[in-house]
Amino acid sequence: MIDGLKTMLPLAWRNLWRNPRRTGITLIVVAIGVWSILFFNAFMIAWAKSSKETTLQLLLGSGQIHAEGYMDDPSIETLMDPPDQNLTSALEAPAVGDWTTRVVVPGVVQSEYKTLPATIVGVDPTAEARISSIPGKIAEGRYLNSSDDDSAVLGLHMVERLKTGLGRRVILMSQNTEGGMSEQSFDVVGIYDADKATESLYVFTGRAASQMFLGLEGEIAQIVFVLQEEMALEDTVAALAEAAPALDVRSWKDLNLFLASMDSYMGVFIHVWLGIVFALMAIGIVNTQLMAVFERTQEFGLLRALGMKPRRVLMMVTIENALLIGVGVLLGMVLAAVTIWSVSDGIDFSAFARAMEMVQTGEIIYLDYEPDAFILFPGLIWLLGILVALWPARRASKCRPVEAMRRET
Amino acid sequence: MDPIVTCRGLSKTFGKGELAVHALRDVDLDIMPGDIATLAGPSGSGKTTLLNMIGALDEPTSGEVSVDGLPLSGISRSQLSDLRLSKIGFVFQSYNLIPVLSARENIEFVLQLQGVAASERHDRAMEAIKEVGLSGMEDRRPGKMSGGQQQRVAVARALVSRPTIVLADEPTANLDSKNALELVDLMRSLNREHGTTFLIGTHDVRVMEQSMRHIEMVDGRIDSDARSSA
Repeated sequence: MIDGLKTMLPLAWRNLWRNPRRTGITLIVVAIGVWSILFFNAFMIAWAKSSKETTLQLLLGSGQIHAEGYMDDPSIETLMDPPDQNLTSALEAPAVGDWTTRVVVPGVVQSEYKTLPATIVGVDPTAEARISSIPGKIAEGRYLNSSDDDSAVLGLHMVERLKTGLGRRVILMSQNTEGGMSEQSFDVVGIYDADKATESLYVFTGRAASQMFLGLEGEIAQIVFVLQEEMALEDTVAALAEAAPALDVRSWKDLNLFLASMDSYMGVFIHVWLGIVFALMAIGIVNTQLMAVFERTQEFGLLRALGMKPRRVLMMVTIENALLIGVGVLLGMVLAAVTIWSVSDGIDFSAFARAMEMVQTGEIIYLDYEPDAFILFPGLIWLLGILVALWPARRASKCRPVEAMRRET
Repeated sequence: MDPIVTCRGLSKTFGKGELAVHALRDVDLDIMPGDIATLAGPSGSGKTTLLNMIGALDEPTSGEVSVDGLPLSGISRSQLSDLRLSKIGFVFQSYNLIPVLSARENIEFVLQLQGVAASERHDRAMEAIKEVGLSGMEDRRPGKMSGGQQQRVAVARALVSRPTIVLADEPTANLDSKNALELVDLMRSLNREHGTTFLIGTHDVRVMEQSMRHIEMVDGRIDSDARSSA
């Protein structure tokens, strides 16, 4: 068997180069297929990661804790007390990277020109800077100084719609604990530049300032936490739920179903793409190999006439195909590795900022090698390619030896 | 002495009904060990079909072929492959060498199929190359050899496995006079020295003149079968 392979391998390799053009075309087809799968896989994973990080870092965090019923009716009537000692201990666990509390209530914001619906968010600026990317997105002015800061930070889009600006005043209105409406004038001290949906909706002020404005006595709407490691998400949520059984503890997956679906279906997208690429490659491989087999009918007849058994003809052609597809797969892997390496500083999509904003992704996508994918996908393509090429190989093995003689006459 | 090849009542018909072509009609033939026999006749007389039947490359419509006492009817494709590998050597009109292999590798290939060890393969191939007068050309590929040289490699390939019989179909058809005569001389000398049996399908008078037995075919039948003193 080993001796047989020793003879077959060089023969198969030389046979491949009898028609360099056809071999070249097949190699290119396989290499581009493998490259596209590996590159697409790396890109999709990077895009999903960027999209996830961008969304989580904006306001969502790794998870949130609310009073029961708040998610169905996020109003002043469904607030909760600040975390007790038990919950605080759970939030100080090593798995939790950071956490903060917020007051989040629906309201309206009014300028001298316009009144718009808004979500008023009272934050602790110091803790918020460790949780959210918004403090780092100030386009004009400044972010809030402290929890007592009774200034307002508005989004660019909202500022445009309100026809207001830095140094001007806006009025925030919301229902208070008494059941009436509270309204208060706030100085616009900062304008942030995030995605349009966030900019249009969220108005930030100090948490203590917002509690005073709403007549609260320390109540909050949410606790937001971020994790050290994403892997610890389920365990941490369970631990927090155990520490606060009366509260509603949810991971980001429950809070943003679209993001969660995208995250979990990413593997499916990749495999669908793999299927499409493979189908195209299979057509190319089968066509070229069938052509090769037809062209060499006389030779296979000769081999059979010389006494080569059908299974050895099958093995010989299969070895040729395995070598051909294998080299194509290796080329594709090298191409993909070089491509990913060449964009390791990130692919800048700032020219498509608005589109990237719509899909909530950072403007720069950083691709990374996926070692598992570099083994799994090329291996799968190689094996499937050999399987598909068994068809032409089988035709070759079924060639009748008399063909060799018949073509002589 | 028992014949190496026996054909009894051998018939082959291609196609059916009005389109049927009777390539062989009730052929009886014995080839004896050490024979160097030519199979002659006009095109379509059934020479190649008869060679195909004896070479286990095609099946007769009726009748029986035995090679070295083994009846070919009813044996599997795999057993037929073994028979061709061990008992029959082929020489074709167009040499039919594997273009990507050198002369030595082409010859060794048959031995490799037989499972002969690498070192023995090499020695036997080199010996065969020497025997057909191609020493020094063993590493050349067919594309770099003349027609005569390629046909010598084909003869060496046919002989290296030490077959019971060598079947040659128009071996000189693509050769010039000089190479054709050299090839005939080579087959004659191999026949004399090793007792190799040759059955040669040919139109070539030079080949017929050198044969010790001349079989003439007409319309799928053996018209005459005569031994000469050549």
